[in-house]
Amino acid sequence: MSQFVFATAEYASGDWESAPSLPEAVIDAVAKYTTIDVAPVGVNVKLSSNELFNFPFVWMTGHLPVRFTDEERRNVQRYVERGGLLMIDDHNHDITGQFHKTATEEIERLFGKMTRLPNDHELYRCFFVFEDGPPNTHHELNGYGDDLLHKYLDAVLVHDRIGLIYSSKDYSSEWNFHAETKKTMTQDPTKFGVNLIVYALTR
Amino acid sequence: MRSPGDAGRGNDAGRGARDAGRAGVEHAVGTSPAVTARPAHRAPRPVAAVLELLLRAAVIALLAWFLVTTVRARRHGRVEDAASRTLHAALARWSTVSSPATVHVSLDHPPAGLERDWLAALPGAGTAVAWNGPSLLPTAIMVEPRADPARGADVSVAAPESATVVLRDTVGTLDSARAGATGVRAYVPRPRATTDALVGAVAARAAIHDSLHLGRLLVLGQAGWEAKFTIASLEERGWKVDAHVAVSPKSDVRQGEIADIDTARYSAVLALDTTAARWGDRIARYVRQGGGLVLWAPAAKARSLASLAPGAPGTLIEDEGAAPSDTAPRAALSLVPITSLASDAVVLERRGPDASLAARRVGAGRVIETGYVNSWRWRMAGGDDAPDRHRDWIAGLVASVAYAGRGSVSAPPTDVAPLASLIDRLGPAAPAWGGAARDPERIARWVFAVLCVSLLVEWASRRLRGVK
Repeated sequence: MSQFVFATAEYASGDWESAPSLPEAVIDAVAKYTTIDVAPVGVNVKLSSNELFNFPFVWMTGHLPVRFTDEERRNVQRYVERGGLLMIDDHNHDITGQFHKTATEEIERLFGKMTRLPNDHELYRCFFVFEDGPPNTHHELNGYGDDLLHKYLDAVLVHDRIGLIYSSKDYSSEWNFHAETKKTMTQDPTKFGVNLIVYALTR
Repeated sequence: MRSPGDAGRGNDAGRGARDAGRAGVEHAVGTSPAVTARPAHRAPRPVAAVLELLLRAAVIALLAWFLVTTVRARRHGRVEDAASRTLHAALARWSTVSSPATVHVSLDHPPAGLERDWLAALPGAGTAVAWNGPSLLPTAIMVEPRADPARGADVSVAAPESATVVLRDTVGTLDSARAGATGVRAYVPRPRATTDALVGAVAARAAIHDSLHLGRLLVLGQAGWEAKFTIASLEERGWKVDAHVAVSPKSDVRQGEIADIDTARYSAVLALDTTAARWGDRIARYVRQGGGLVLWAPAAKARSLASLAPGAPGTLIEDEGAAPSDTAPRAALSLVPITSLASDAVVLERRGPDASLAARRVGAGRVIETGYVNSWRWRMAGGDDAPDRHRDWIAGLVASVAYAGRGSVSAPPTDVAPLASLIDRLGPAAPAWGGAARDPERIARWVFAVLCVSLLVEWASRRLRGVK
């Protein structure tokens, strides 16, 4: 009926498929903690395709420079304005890296300057509670990339709702593992992924 | 007609006959007295003579008719008539210098309120009023504020089937439509002080007399795209929305403080699925007290909500993934048909053979059930104006059942049903005016003129023939 399907954005430039196991890990968490009707496997959807509009939540990541085509640009703008939620995560965890520079350039070209999401935003409380805002990743804590702890996420707001989230935290590395691996972990790092999905489905 | 030359030839013939007669007499005197004198042949009556006869007859008939008319007018009182364009002047005359016993008005459009009231007052002054207007079409208009923060209005027009209805307001024309069996219904997003419906020469005018006090909405359902986009659309429309969205057995996403479910707080409750059954008894009580309920068909599976539902949910018909079109956007959506309809349920929309929208009254409240379970696809994947149209549609569902407190507002004068008002004030239309008892004073000059001309022609004809 209206099953949630985790969709990964496929775009013409860059390496969109750089976190192939991430959907599986997030889907596992959603199925484990919630009663949300979630499809067991994710899909890849082209940003230039009309198929994009059948998936109101889309994950986008990569390491390489991002240059949207005209169709991609038009679709992304329309998608966000209609109420879709596009999550863009910098897989480099590097604000001096090419992905960050080019992706934020594309976003600001379409939507203007992004808003810093306050750490008491509903996104951090809608299911699990993250008192300090976006949870840190091992890549941040271990000094990879830009060697910074990013305390905030940036966003594009449409009618006071999040239409696009930009993250420099590299959740794409943090959550890119087989779901079975969670058995060996003391804490499930994908809990924040559940909040993203719950927020997308309820707000 | 004969020419003067013909008349001259006729005179020659007459003279010949007279000469022949004289010759015959001389012959009889000179020969045999037993032979009777006879004209050689009988000449036909000249055409001019026939004409003269007819004119004399016409004059006599006209005099007789005028005499009868005068006598009847004396007996029954004087009758005057007027048409729409002369009505105002006639009313002034009838009320001042003239006091006819009866007036008859032939209308090609309903009189304005002043003229109608004036006509209705004439019987009080001893003048009977009759009217007719075969071209006046029965028309009525109603404008109701919609229970919607956008503050639009629903316009209903009653008019003869297939008549063209033009809607206009103080700014200009809004729209036109051909009336169906139930007239015309339209939505006016920004109603002005008055709204008119023009049907032929009849213009009905209505205004909004109530202001609505809207409460909040309560959305209940499982986390999903339908819940998200329903809440988003309604908030974008201007509604204040409380929501209780189920995410897991232990936790829900709540928006706003969900207090008592009653008409003091909520204008409508929207139940998307069976998770709303938790509040089933409270929802049922709320609806019976006058509250509105929008029910997605899957919610009717819950026993506590089934008793309120217009119908039971059928088997899901999955969409085929096609983008909703501009012309029939809901054809591309998944549908849970509404089946086993309650006896008092009304089907509002069908998709093919399946009922897709149905409504019913429960106690003092109203319930509408939709079979479209992923209308969010319309907003996301539809055409350029799909978000607006989807928002309008969802808001329309809510408005059709929402409870709203009412307060009165001052409104300009209206004329919601001109023909009905006319009949109410003057009585039913009389048959077309036959002119059997016209006013002798007004026709006397015409009668006199016709008489003079007829007699003059008759006299001239005789003189030309040489007859006195």
